[in-house]
Amino acid sequence: MKTKILTFLLFAFTTSLLLTNPLYSQGQSDPWTQQQLLAPADLAKALNNPKSPQPIVFSIGMQAIIKGSVDIGPTLRPDNLNTLKQKLNKLPKNSQIVVYCGCCPFSRCPNIRPAMELLKSMQFTNYKLLNLPQNVKVDWIDKGYPMSE
Amino acid sequence: MRILIMAVALLLFGGAGSTVTAQLCGLEKGNKAPEIRLPSIKGDTVSLYSLKGKLVLIDFWGTWCAPCVEEQSELARLYQQYKPAHFVNEKGFEIYGVALEAKKPNWENFISKNKISWIQVSDLKFWRSPVAKTYNIQGLPFNVLIDGKGVILAKNLHGTDLEKAIGKNLSK
Repeated sequence: MKTKILTFLLFAFTTSLLLTNPLYSQGQSDPWTQQQLLAPADLAKALNNPKSPQPIVFSIGMQAIIKGSVDIGPTLRPDNLNTLKQKLNKLPKNSQIVVYCGCCPFSRCPNIRPAMELLKSMQFTNYKLLNLPQNVKVDWIDKGYPMSE
Repeated sequence: MRILIMAVALLLFGGAGSTVTAQLCGLEKGNKAPEIRLPSIKGDTVSLYSLKGKLVLIDFWGTWCAPCVEEQSELARLYQQYKPAHFVNEKGFEIYGVALEAKKPNWENFISKNKISWIQVSDLKFWRSPVAKTYNIQGLPFNVLIDGKGVILAKNLHGTDLEKAIGKNLSK
């Protein structure tokens, strides 16, 4: 009996730990790592300094709001995902690439997963997902970061 | 001296009186909701303030927002039920749908496919729409219920909470 209770407690403890840990609660199956999330402030800093190396930024959502970003359209749609693939085919595998959508919180965004999966399957080595956990308004526009014309 | 005191009193109370009548424009319950003037699908500008006298639900949404899309059928039911209803202070019910849309065809197709008959406006600026800033929208879906004077009764209510808030204004 004692071992049963102990096992249960251990199980409950581990589960609660897993559920409260943001690394896990973000979804273990997401096709990106924490290291692949790019802070908006870091991208804004690069965009504001033309002398620093410029990443290639793809908008894979509704509108290319970020300055200099390439409008692909929602990669939820296979035709848009294919457009992205065509563009990526022309780039060296070690290119500095950033993708963003920003419609909705990550958990609900239908566009970021197909795009990140494509980058992974094409074996790019230096690609990031812009960390817009809420949306592009709250995490980019409201911060006064550079926008397209 | 007496005249001076009277003049000061008049200035003070006169001033206070006018601030009471001119409702504070803001986003809190009891504030007057800020004006919105945006184009409909046909292109003509529809003003929120033109709906004065009606109970109005301002619904901020987008065809790309799954929970918003899901909610549209519920809004259709509420619209049908409450549009002809009798309210204590208001003459009817209206929905003012503001689409944070990027491309017109997406919006237009959704409206015709789902036969949405209430007011629909959009500047097609997605999250860059000035309205998103004016109404300090942090995420979608988001809505605001205003009374016949344009005063905010409730914010961001959904499901039964929204229906209760509308129902509260019905005449018994």
